[in-house]
Amino acid sequence: MDFDVFVNYYNQLPFLIKVVWIISVILFIIIIVSIFYLKIYRTRLRNSTAETQKLVTEYEIQLINYLYAEEGQEEQNSIIEKLTFCISSKSKRKIIKRVLLKLKKEISGEIAVAIQNLYRQIGLLNFALKKLDHQNWYVVAMGIRELKQFNIKDAHDAILHHVNHSSKEVRKEVQLYLVSLFHFKGLEFLTKIETDLSEWDQIQLLEVLQKNEDQQDVDITPWLNSNNDSVVMFSLKIAEIFNQYEVQNHIIELLHHKNNIIRTKAILVLGGMQNLDFKHEVMNNFEERTLEEQQALFKIFEPLVSNNDEWFLLKYSEHYNFEIRLEALRLIKNFSPDKFALFKETTNNGQFLEMLNFLTDN
Amino acid sequence: MESLTGQHIILIIHYFFFVYGFLAIGSYLFLTVVSAFETSEYVKKNKFVDYSEILASSISPSISIIAPAYNESLNIVENVRSLLSSHYVNYDVIIVNDGSKDDSLELLINAYDLVKVNYLVNKQIPTKPLRAGVFKSTNPAFEKLTVIDKENGGKADALNFGLNVSSNQYVACIDVDCLLLEDSLQKMIKPFLEATDHKVIATGGVIRIANSCTIKDGKLLDVNMPKKMIERAQILEYLRSFLLGRMAWSRLNGLLVISGAFGLFDKKIAIEVGGYDTKTVGEDMELIVRMRRVMEEQKVKYRVAYIPDPLCWTEAPDNYRIFISQRNRWTRGTIETLKMHKKIGFNPKYGALGLLSYPYWLIFERLAPIFEVVGIIYFTVLMMLNYVRWDFSLAFFSLAYLFTLLLSIAAIYSEELTYHQYKKKGTGFKLLLTAILEPIVLHPFVLYAAVRGNYDYYFNKKKKWGVMQRKGMGTTAT
Repeated sequence: MDFDVFVNYYNQLPFLIKVVWIISVILFIIIIVSIFYLKIYRTRLRNSTAETQKLVTEYEIQLINYLYAEEGQEEQNSIIEKLTFCISSKSKRKIIKRVLLKLKKEISGEIAVAIQNLYRQIGLLNFALKKLDHQNWYVVAMGIRELKQFNIKDAHDAILHHVNHSSKEVRKEVQLYLVSLFHFKGLEFLTKIETDLSEWDQIQLLEVLQKNEDQQDVDITPWLNSNNDSVVMFSLKIAEIFNQYEVQNHIIELLHHKNNIIRTKAILVLGGMQNLDFKHEVMNNFEERTLEEQQALFKIFEPLVSNNDEWFLLKYSEHYNFEIRLEALRLIKNFSPDKFALFKETTNNGQFLEMLNFLTDN
Repeated sequence: MESLTGQHIILIIHYFFFVYGFLAIGSYLFLTVVSAFETSEYVKKNKFVDYSEILASSISPSISIIAPAYNESLNIVENVRSLLSSHYVNYDVIIVNDGSKDDSLELLINAYDLVKVNYLVNKQIPTKPLRAGVFKSTNPAFEKLTVIDKENGGKADALNFGLNVSSNQYVACIDVDCLLLEDSLQKMIKPFLEATDHKVIATGGVIRIANSCTIKDGKLLDVNMPKKMIERAQILEYLRSFLLGRMAWSRLNGLLVISGAFGLFDKKIAIEVGGYDTKTVGEDMELIVRMRRVMEEQKVKYRVAYIPDPLCWTEAPDNYRIFISQRNRWTRGTIETLKMHKKIGFNPKYGALGLLSYPYWLIFERLAPIFEVVGIIYFTVLMMLNYVRWDFSLAFFSLAYLFTLLLSIAAIYSEELTYHQYKKKGTGFKLLLTAILEPIVLHPFVLYAAVRGNYDYYFNKKKKWGVMQRKGMGTTAT
């Protein structure tokens, strides 16, 4: 009876109000379900953290037993069997990999090699290799990352194949895999890459290269001539960090590159190498160069300055840019104290005098 | 005839409110869906990021943290210690003491062995002059620290001084009382370094509320849920704003505001556009809008990026008086910024900025409280005239309330599925309870503050910043 009253009331409502009530009821149901699910989710999250921790401890003990048992012993075989069985579960596979990686980081030498062998023996390698052909970028990137972490060099060709993958993350993992495992030889991807290397990628790769004790010789000339500006920039950074003096002439050519950032970096790199040949080239067409290039020259100028450059310093001691003006005056103070003193006596410009006074005191 | 005209007017008013409400709900739903996609993608991609490489690299770009301080003597020593404890290699800290009347400077001098140094400031942006001067530490452990003591000119002026002094490529402008996590800088710099086909002009970070959290020696040890409902409601409000709203606008490249409490900027661009505007109380929003405007006018491909990780923790007002004062200022800041840059609004020349971001802010942020108040007045008049159909009103109230609740639950889900900061048993329930009560315990005050902000903007021009009384995060809280 009551329900009929409610239905009759609802039926006589205008359309708009009916819609509002329907939406409200739907929202109410969604909210109730969401609240219950949130409760379940939070509880599950807490429980799974405890369960994961339990499994981590369990596998850690098994793996340590395996590593310190004598090779070929029954104990080792039984652990391999047990782990091989466990990896069929995705969550357990994840935990086993985590524990293996943790142990790999903590130990070195033969035992580290044993971990790598175990990784292959229990079948984890096959799972990782399968990921490389997956359609989802996330899975591919995960696979490459895992192969890098476990030092699997055999996957080189399959991974290099992804060097121009549509996903930035996959490309990044490919680059890190190659450089982490093959060091300077891994830089071969620079000739194949069709996309830009971001500054973030470059810093990461350079850090990996710097950590490598085996500083192999590498010819960066082809990359300095690359059509990909980011590859040229990266090569300039390699030249700078690894003191590639033999490519100085190629770098001088880059002073005429179409990209201002590359020209600026070339000035900084050549300055760091204390190359004198490029100095006059930049000084002679200083006015035509961009502000960034001009600032770069003054930044690295001090060790390159000779007495013959006094005209240049005097000319630009009144440059519109603060940093250039300050640096020019500082160099004048060091190389021509008399001229500097004369400036102080003759200037009426308050800001200029402030700069001169600052330099006198410092 | 007269009554027919009156009925038409009433009908128009009803439809206006209905359409406005429908559009508001639609836009919030749209932003929630977009933020879900963006958050999921961000979390996935972030799994492949190794911040330690950037952290240790000497070739990583240089960053200056600029923190203006005014009468912050209660916590300044601890706060500076926290800023100096970043794990990033290539950074320095510039504290700008903006004419404080307390003993902030003396405390800093004693705590960090500071001595006055000669310093030539490149006055690219005009500011108030130095007062006591520039100070550096004699202790090598604090070599990254520079303290500037200048005449009072307000927060924007102090930040501009910091911009003039910084010799680094990027500047992180923060509130000195904020707690930055140690890995904040490398996370915030990432979008700048990852961009290849566009320029990132600024990155905004999430602000989290530190009230009741356990903090020791400038480090966040434990995240707790505060006892007071006003604080809890703000936690929920921040989750909604930062994890849903801003995340979505970041995806749409339509962010108009980066919180003044923590943002990273390309210094060169910030200076080129003239730095912070000292005439507005919403200098953080105004700078972003101006930077975007200049980029659009120069036809540069650019982005304002956003990092949803909980990197910066701050103290939120714990009483309604300070809360209203803060929101009043935010309202005035929004009005001033939108008015200053009205040229952008609905102007196709400014692309998505002019046709999407600006109109959204104008209609759903700037005008929303006004429409709400007008609606309340109109409803009261109808009540007095006995024109209210209570059953219809109940339907609309239910819809509005349930939708607000759903949005809050979506924000809680976003937090739980990503950063899960409120781990303790029972906090989930507290958050839900807050979501249920927030429309009653916080929203009326938000509305009141917005109305006051409007009033003060038009009729009380002398009103400036207002005072934020701090209890301090330097000591262990419970």
